[in-house]
Amino acid sequence: MNNQIKKKLIEICGIENVNDGQEVLEKYSKDQSLVDPIKPLLVVFPENTDQVQDIIKLANQNNISIIPISSPNKYRFHGDTVPKSDNTIIMNLSKMNKILRIDKKNRVIMVEPGVTFGELIDVAGKNGLRLLNPLFPRKSKSVLSSALEREPPIVPRFQWDSSDPLLCTEVIFGTGDYFRTGIAAGPGTIEEQIESGQAQKNPMGPTQFSPYRLIQGAQGCFGVVTWATIKCEYLYDTEKLMFSQSDNFEDFFDFMRYLIKYRTADEVFIVNKVNLAALLGTDISNLSNLKDWILITNFTGMGQFGEDRISYILADINDVINDYNIKLTETLGNIDNSKIFEIIHETCEESWRLKYKGGFQDIFYLTTLDNTVLHYNLVSKMTDLELGVYIQPINQGCGVHCEFDLYYNPADTNEGSIKKSFLEISKKLMDIGAFFNRPYGLWADEMYARVSNETISALRRVKEIFDPNNIMNRGALCFKEE
Amino acid sequence: MKIDKKILNEIQDIVGKENATDNEVILESYTYNWCVEFINVMEGKDPIPFWHKPIAVVLPSTTEEVQKFVKLCNKYHLKFKAQSTGLGPWNQPSEDDVIVVDLRRMNKIVKIDPKNMYCVVEPYVTGAQLQAELLKYGLNCHMPGAGPQVSPLASSTSMCGPGFTSSSTGFSGRNVLGTEWVLPTGEILRLGSLSLKENSDWFHGDGPGPSLRGIMRGFIGTKSGLGIFTRVAIKLFPFPCNIKQLEIKNIIPNYDFDIPNYMQFHLISCKNYETLELAFDRIEKEGITFMCFHTSTYGLHTIFSNTQEELMNRAVASPRIKNPLVVLITANTKREFEYKEKVLKTAIEELKVKDVVATGKYIPPNIAYAEALRSALGMHGFLATGAFQSTHGSMDTSRLCRVLMERNLPLKKEYIDKGLIGNDEGKGNWSTSYEHGHFYHIETPTMYDQTKVESVEGFVEYLDRCNKLDLVEHLGIPFFIEGDKMHDWYGPQCSNYHIWLRKIKTKFDPNFVADSGFYISPEKEENKTT
Ligand SMILES: Cc1cc2nc3c(=O)[nH]c(=O)nc-3n(C[C@H](O)[C@H](O)[C@H](O)COP(=O)(O)OP(=O)(O)OC[C@H]3O[C@@H](n4cnc5c(N)ncnc54)[C@H](O)[C@@H]3O)c2cc1C
Repeated sequence: MNNQIKKKLIEICGIENVNDGQEVLEKYSKDQSLVDPIKPLLVVFPENTDQVQDIIKLANQNNISIIPISSPNKYRFHGDTVPKSDNTIIMNLSKMNKILRIDKKNRVIMVEPGVTFGELIDVAGKNGLRLLNPLFPRKSKSVLSSALEREPPIVPRFQWDSSDPLLCTEVIFGTGDYFRTGIAAGPGTIEEQIESGQAQKNPMGPTQFSPYRLIQGAQGCFGVVTWATIKCEYLYDTEKLMFSQSDNFEDFFDFMRYLIKYRTADEVFIVNKVNLAALLGTDISNLSNLKDWILITNFTGMGQFGEDRISYILADINDVINDYNIKLTETLGNIDNSKIFEIIHETCEESWRLKYKGGFQDIFYLTTLDNTVLHYNLVSKMTDLELGVYIQPINQGCGVHCEFDLYYNPADTNEGSIKKSFLEISKKLMDIGAFFNRPYGLWADEMYARVSNETISALRRVKEIFDPNNIMNRGALCFKEE
Repeated sequence: MKIDKKILNEIQDIVGKENATDNEVILESYTYNWCVEFINVMEGKDPIPFWHKPIAVVLPSTTEEVQKFVKLCNKYHLKFKAQSTGLGPWNQPSEDDVIVVDLRRMNKIVKIDPKNMYCVVEPYVTGAQLQAELLKYGLNCHMPGAGPQVSPLASSTSMCGPGFTSSSTGFSGRNVLGTEWVLPTGEILRLGSLSLKENSDWFHGDGPGPSLRGIMRGFIGTKSGLGIFTRVAIKLFPFPCNIKQLEIKNIIPNYDFDIPNYMQFHLISCKNYETLELAFDRIEKEGITFMCFHTSTYGLHTIFSNTQEELMNRAVASPRIKNPLVVLITANTKREFEYKEKVLKTAIEELKVKDVVATGKYIPPNIAYAEALRSALGMHGFLATGAFQSTHGSMDTSRLCRVLMERNLPLKKEYIDKGLIGNDEGKGNWSTSYEHGHFYHIETPTMYDQTKVESVEGFVEYLDRCNKLDLVEHLGIPFFIEGDKMHDWYGPQCSNYHIWLRKIKTKFDPNFVADSGFYISPEKEENKTT
């Protein structure tokens, strides 16, 4: 059967786009996470939507599972793209890497899955736009899958809906059916819509459902997205960083809330010194003059009065800063601000987390700001590993992405003990209400065990609609075979 | 049909004897609904504003009561239709033999969480009540254009969601967080962080994994066709100016209001729709507005008038403002205000347009500032004829709005010339910015005379032509594409969405107990695929 499938896939995509070399299969059988390896049957590289559709139809006819992957990354991290069953093919979309449209007027960019932050941040900038990127993304990270996975943007004021920056999509559902979500659904082709002034911006609908919300966060379980429109902002003309340091990160909270409430700050987040070192690609010993916790915030302005915007905001802050009991500075120790701009605006070659010690496991979830104190106190007592912390307000302040990074040197660490500690900490956090809204790899079973039966039953009904033969990323999320 | 007394008794056992009735007088009072006269005409009936009489009315007071009631509907194969305030359109049965679930006893503000910028409300909390409480924390909520008298829960979960303050407060469907929802099966579904069995919280509405908000409402809401929403967490916004209370002086219709510091209306006259489009995009660029919307000159006179007399005076005596863009600047501090005003002034100069407030030609009444803060401008739409409804309604870009307005103009004029609909010179549009220019929607409010058959019929014909225009010229999907007939018409031109929507209905309402006159009915047995 394997050979037959291979033959058919070659017919669909061409011989150069089907690979079942042992080395390749080995590579895709695992990632940097602690998920058990399973080899896929083969890896296929479709080059267009028709091919994606044909592959999904073929998988339906032959009861084969498909795992879509977007970026050409060397490293993957969360176990979501590791096969969970035999009979799996990897659909690597990195050859679909066109920037289909850049629309400054409407602040939107249409991209295929293989378009990376490394390329798009630059291209967007040249066109007067900025992306809502996560913190210091890998150069090779897919912009589309980052949005599809609900990675937290670092500018909470621009995230009006927790689904931002994902807007419309073109998708092939698990059934093999073609669909366009949001206003892109129609009437009219994309070209006809553009002709009538549309830009595939409104993500809601068509009419009385919003399928883009179903495929977002679904780890490919409902279908494969072949392009998406990404919400952007105008590029700023001027910016100003401000910092605060403290021995206790709770000290920042009220001030952060003030910044978020009035939507004055762009980037605003907290890191501990370990994560700052990791982000800067330096050793923590080089940051000995800093306190343990750092608040980073950035203010921007555009146009003729860009500087005036920053001035009025800073003057207003000055009027109230004493109420918040923190000190703001324009620089952070002796770190050059250009280094900080780099981590908030640019990309890193390889994961900054991986680079720090050669190995890491990140534990991230959503919660509210106050809860992070309890969570940190718990986690810091549960591990001897070097612990990085990153707290990112999301959705205009209605919650935070909280992240604990366990750093280790793989050469002198036992993977078994890391796995144990990673799972123990994750479970403990879940027990006290940490909301793992992106339940990858080992988290999925634990998370769904803590979620109401009604939610799981509803998700399974949706799965039956869009992927009735369970071919998409079989075994992921709560869609285990009974 | 009358409800079986035994079943009524069972319902009364759930909600209490006094909270479920089949009393004829009460049932009659539930037959009125705004705009239903034109639905009657569409169905070949007389243009009266009354529709199907329910067989009973139920007033549950808790989610558990709603759940028990819905389970009973499944047991006896009875249909239900829920309403929150019942002030909006499409909130009564679309057929005979349906029970109305009136949620007026679920009227609590469950929580205001100023630290995390959200609140949790039950169905019968009105926007006005909620806003009064939020003001204590310097916070505000998004309200639909319908006004502060309607239900933020209904708007967030079940209806559309454009509002006058959308440029700074967004769209109802995008402000939803944790949600509690009784499915047509009687299961209680909780979304996002609320789905946890223990330590659940309201702050997030998606996941884990896929977001079930995807089936919850879409763009225009399911209108009770997919269950009953009992509580919802809604994202909040800063109150736009630094006041502790809204004090209105005098009595209706001569209300007055002391304009707070740092608030200023600007009425910008744009020579044509092209300039209007440019002005929208330019003025929203720096994100300075509290309100930023377009209405016709006539619309402007309406929102600034409190009596028909005043409206007529304005129409005759006020200067004509071409294609007005209404901008309201607000600020919490003097510096913020000065910055925003400066940006706006420069944009106006760049655009070579005129602000008729700055030139002293048009002075919005003081009360309009209070109504802007209260989102109360919409009710003025009733002043002229007592009846209006919108056509079109798609939401995307400022260019789409312009194209749609241009194409609609001759069509609307045709019906005005025939004397069938109110004369707004064909320019009665409402288009607002969302999220500081990220989206724009366009609808065309149209006045008609409820008391004249020809006028209601004329409106219906015009509405149908608007729907056709959008389909043929690819102008997005209008608001009123709901119900089987409309979905089966538009669906095949729009990714065949009707097939998927119907599958959702089939899976989640297997016994077809949720009235779907304004949603979609399940797959027919013979067509069922899964
Ligand atoms: C003059 C006027 C202007 C309007 N302008 C706008 C506008 O600008 N923007 C806009 O978005 N809307 C507008 N509307 C429509 C509507 O009133 C609003 O959307 C409103 O937010 C809905 O709240 P309500 O209290 O009126 O809902 P209701 O009248 O109670 O119900 C509205 C619909 O939602 C369903 N529903 C209500 N509660 C529930 C529930 N708990 N569970 C399940 N289904 C439920 C009902 O069945 C009904 O179909 C307008 C209405 C009027 C009368």
